[in-house]
Amino acid sequence: MSVIEVEHLTKDYGSGRGVFDVSFHVDSGEVFGFLGPNGAGKSTTIRHLMGFSRPDCGQARILGKESFGKYHQILGRVGYIPGELALPAALTGWEFLRMMQDMHGKHNDELLTKLLRMFELDPSGRIRHMSFGSKRKLAVVSAFMNDPEVLILDEPTSGLDPVMQQVFIDYIKNEKKRGKTILLSSHIFSEVDATCDRIAIIKDGKIVSDFIADDLKHAEMKNYRIVFSCQEEYSRFCRTARTVSFLSQLEGKPSECAVVVSVHDSHINDFVSLISGFSVTGFEHLKVTLEDYFMSYYKEDKDFGGALTR
Amino acid sequence: MKNVIELKDLTKDYGNGRGIFDISLNIAEGEMVGFAGTNGSGKTTTIRHIMGFVKPTSGAAYVYGKEAWKHSSEFVRKIGYVPGEIAFPDFATGTAFLKSRAEYLGVRDMSYAEKLIERLQLDPSASLKRMSKGMKQKTAIVAALIGDPEILLLDEPTTGLDPLMRSAFIDIIKEEHARGKTIFMSSHMFEELEATCDRVALIANGRIADIVSLDEIRHPARREYKIEFKSPEDYNRFKGLGYEIVRDQPQYSQVTVSIGSNDLNNLFSDLTAFDIRFISEVKYNLDTYFRKRLNKNLEKETEEYVQ
Repeated sequence: MSVIEVEHLTKDYGSGRGVFDVSFHVDSGEVFGFLGPNGAGKSTTIRHLMGFSRPDCGQARILGKESFGKYHQILGRVGYIPGELALPAALTGWEFLRMMQDMHGKHNDELLTKLLRMFELDPSGRIRHMSFGSKRKLAVVSAFMNDPEVLILDEPTSGLDPVMQQVFIDYIKNEKKRGKTILLSSHIFSEVDATCDRIAIIKDGKIVSDFIADDLKHAEMKNYRIVFSCQEEYSRFCRTARTVSFLSQLEGKPSECAVVVSVHDSHINDFVSLISGFSVTGFEHLKVTLEDYFMSYYKEDKDFGGALTR
Repeated sequence: MKNVIELKDLTKDYGNGRGIFDISLNIAEGEMVGFAGTNGSGKTTTIRHIMGFVKPTSGAAYVYGKEAWKHSSEFVRKIGYVPGEIAFPDFATGTAFLKSRAEYLGVRDMSYAEKLIERLQLDPSASLKRMSKGMKQKTAIVAALIGDPEILLLDEPTTGLDPLMRSAFIDIIKEEHARGKTIFMSSHMFEELEATCDRVALIANGRIADIVSLDEIRHPARREYKIEFKSPEDYNRFKGLGYEIVRDQPQYSQVTVSIGSNDLNNLFSDLTAFDIRFISEVKYNLDTYFRKRLNKNLEKETEEYVQ
């Protein structure tokens, strides 16, 4: 069953801004990653799911209920971390947490204490005086403290240090085991890589890719970078490579005596025997990372936009 | 080469073990030094001392040989500073703020600022108050670079930037570094520091835990390779060859061996006699280095404790 559904969602803010015909769904117990640069439409989509905004056409649904019309039936079952925090500055952290508990009518102090300890947050000070990281932690704790069945997280770890990011990842993994349905938008690829089952990439308000995370990790064609001891060995390899069927050369850098080749897993032993005949000083498997994959969707902008030259 | 920034036993004790203690670090002219550590470990406190915002309990921070707390007004225009917590003065728009900054610094030619604005895809005409975290961050970056300063002090400058902007920013910083700027940058992203810095200092609980030269990381003397064999027999036979095994996972018929770069050829010729599933290099990076290093420190402390 799909717990989170977005169907042909369109919100046109004019001058090409907004989201256009966005469709995806997150099944029960699934963690769904939502990637895209700032301004691509991640937060707009998420805010429609939360019922904050009325779509021009299409709709967003959570637990089968249409978000904009029935948000009051949904909010109590959803934990939400907004991308831009706007917390009541005059309250203390405690006052804020108590207020949120009262609003939801749930007071799970055991879980709250556990979360405060896990995220090393002391909520006794006024929010006004909290650092950016502490405010983030406060939002994280308040989204999790009622143990909601759906989590909608918009860049939840921006500003948290690597130790806290790891705590966060571990918590999400555990929530996933407990059957929670999670939508995670993030700029941090390692976090998405570690937690998500499926990933969608949004660009200029449109979904450009929707794929299963493991497919990327277990690609059977692999790229390797090999560095040779000298120019002669490099040239000899390049000549040989042309005659070998199981290998294709993607790149050659004579100045560094280095090549990049692509080999299917089934030929790894042939590949090793081939290399053993050369004098090699470096060998590296170039993993196709989520980051590479993500960047490939934006490469065009880099080449033509000028503003993003690498 | 002369030192542009010098920290000498810099200490600021906020009580309850909080603060920074005996921080000593020199940054030479044209050098780029990174600053890593968890939230609350003292990165921002250290950087604020260099700006002269805080009076140290003992020790001192010097910029161009001048003590920061007393003489910061003499060098502050030469520093481009991106604060960790951005609080803009009360201007209506980003453009108004950047203009006033340019006037203060006596910058007439705005072409460099315009180029930065274009590369970071910033629309500075937006209201400062209504800007998103990412836009504020970009505005702060442009404000820091606008006067083409000799020194850059960057406190987590990429927080809130998306991956494309992060990479655009890193390119800008690399160019500034190549142009001879002296740069001190804190970050939570090890990849970022690895891509840009000459050295990286790690701070933990207010003390410098380690300083590493990136050359050591980029060109390690020994490298590690992970190999998986198709059969347990092959796996066992390989283990008999006497390679230095740093990690052993019999359940997957996997070993990780450590070899000097001269032995790579031997490894490949030995492997021709085996049926393998894959071989890949285990990347040595800043992340693994610091993890190892922190574990070692932990072990040492435990040892001392036991003794």
